[in-house]
Amino acid sequence: MIWLRLTGCVLVTVSCGALGVLKAHQWKDHRKMLEELRRMIYLLRGEILYARSPLAEALQRAGEKSAGAPAAFFLRVAGRLAAQEGEGFYDIWQEELEDLTGTSVRQGRRLSLSRREIQELKEFGQHLGYLDVGMQERTIALYLEQLDMSIGFYREHERERVRMCTSLGIMGGLFLSVILC
Amino acid sequence: MERKDELLRVFSGSLRAILKRFGADFGKMQEIRLRAGLPLMVVWDNHPCFLSDDGQMSDGPAGAHRVSAEEVRETLELVGNHSLYAFEEEIRQGFITIPGGHRVGLAGRAVTEDGEIRTIKNISFLNIRLAHQVKGCADRIMPFLTEGGQVFHTLVISPPGCGKTTLLRDMIRQLAGGGARTAEAPRFAGDRNPEGGSRERTGVRNFRERPENGRFRRMNIGVIDERSELAACSQGIPQNDLGISTDVMDCCPKAEGMMMMIRTMSPDVIAVDEIGSRRDLEAMGYVMNCGCRILATVHGDTVEDVACKPVLGEMVRGRMFERYIVLSRRMGAGTVEEVRSGGGEVLYTRGGAPEREQTGGKGGGV
Repeated sequence: MIWLRLTGCVLVTVSCGALGVLKAHQWKDHRKMLEELRRMIYLLRGEILYARSPLAEALQRAGEKSAGAPAAFFLRVAGRLAAQEGEGFYDIWQEELEDLTGTSVRQGRRLSLSRREIQELKEFGQHLGYLDVGMQERTIALYLEQLDMSIGFYREHERERVRMCTSLGIMGGLFLSVILC
Repeated sequence: MERKDELLRVFSGSLRAILKRFGADFGKMQEIRLRAGLPLMVVWDNHPCFLSDDGQMSDGPAGAHRVSAEEVRETLELVGNHSLYAFEEEIRQGFITIPGGHRVGLAGRAVTEDGEIRTIKNISFLNIRLAHQVKGCADRIMPFLTEGGQVFHTLVISPPGCGKTTLLRDMIRQLAGGGARTAEAPRFAGDRNPEGGSRERTGVRNFRERPENGRFRRMNIGVIDERSELAACSQGIPQNDLGISTDVMDCCPKAEGMMMMIRTMSPDVIAVDEIGSRRDLEAMGYVMNCGCRILATVHGDTVEDVACKPVLGEMVRGRMFERYIVLSRRMGAGTVEEVRSGGGEVLYTRGGAPEREQTGGKGGGV
């Protein structure tokens, strides 16, 4: 009987620890996704400022050069723009963003962004394509600044967050084990 | 994709629906004019008319669909592919070329800076001019343009909307290897039946003259397509047939493009549309002195008109061009009025009774 209890305790502790590690990884993955998004915005900026590509073409090229959820988002917007069904750019941007940040999207394709980040990305799309190249440059610069701040925050708190999640997981597991025993 | 569907994609939803309901042959559509607050107007088969909500044509504006400012704005957004920043230079010049080579003319309030137009804002007037690719429309012109495997320096002179771009496009296509000749090439608009014995030709050259193998020697053609009208490139790929040995410099200023082509692509012939500025003409003079042949078009009514223009007039008087093709819309767009040699000798003149034999829409009269 004691062996059974001990096994249960170990399993609970390990599971809770694993949960903590998973949570810590989510933090890291989120930071990586924001970095990937920033890289794509740089590509987009090159396409717009250097090649003067229209948005459909610029998003398509930037999307093709990357992988992951931000690339899928860019490619979907580019596809709908190219189809020219008479929809406005911001409508397409907003719909696709809501679609890809929704919970129904499978992992890997899902843009797991915080509410504030979604709002920033929406505002970025609202001003993209408006007026001249100078305006595009400023819009992109503003969004890159916001992204840099987010990435900086995630990077700054990464170590403590990882430690905290892992420790909390293990400690929580031990606590549960003690209570259950 | 059908040409009509491709074109309709640049219109706002409501206008798209009206044009979809348009019952007549869309192939004969030449212009679609949108003016904010005014009736929807089209030019169909050289005939200006108005379109109602159910797509019916009428001669008068009564019952015609009134285009709203919102429809113009939405259409402009789609014309610019939601990226008007990418068309800054085109907007400055007053037009945007859309896929298919169609040209959308813009008018509104000009924003100037130091006396120069910086952009156009409050765009309320759009004129969508449909490009037509008429393969074979240069068939009867080609024998005048080549001799001994060499192309003459040629200038096509035409008022706006008379098919000079269409003609130049087919000349390029034929010289670049797409020139398989038909057994019975189409006649000039206004020519009478050859069997009837009353042909209006006064040319010294036989119209039936053909290269012996039925083809022209394939040449490398360099096309400077500043307004994307000749090749209608989409992401660098020509959408119009310009033959198999043509290199296209898309959206490039003509003067710079000609010099770049000469240096980098070693073309036999350089083709440019709507030359005009001093720099274009100087670059053209340079090209002519490089052993490269020129095919060019210019706005004008007659050779004498063109001879009065500065710089270009000097080139005409200096006999730098070896052939002049003068177009008009007397028998429909693309009517060849005359073909002259560089020395002014008339090789062909249309003349005669104004009978319309064949126009086939814009540019189809050749």
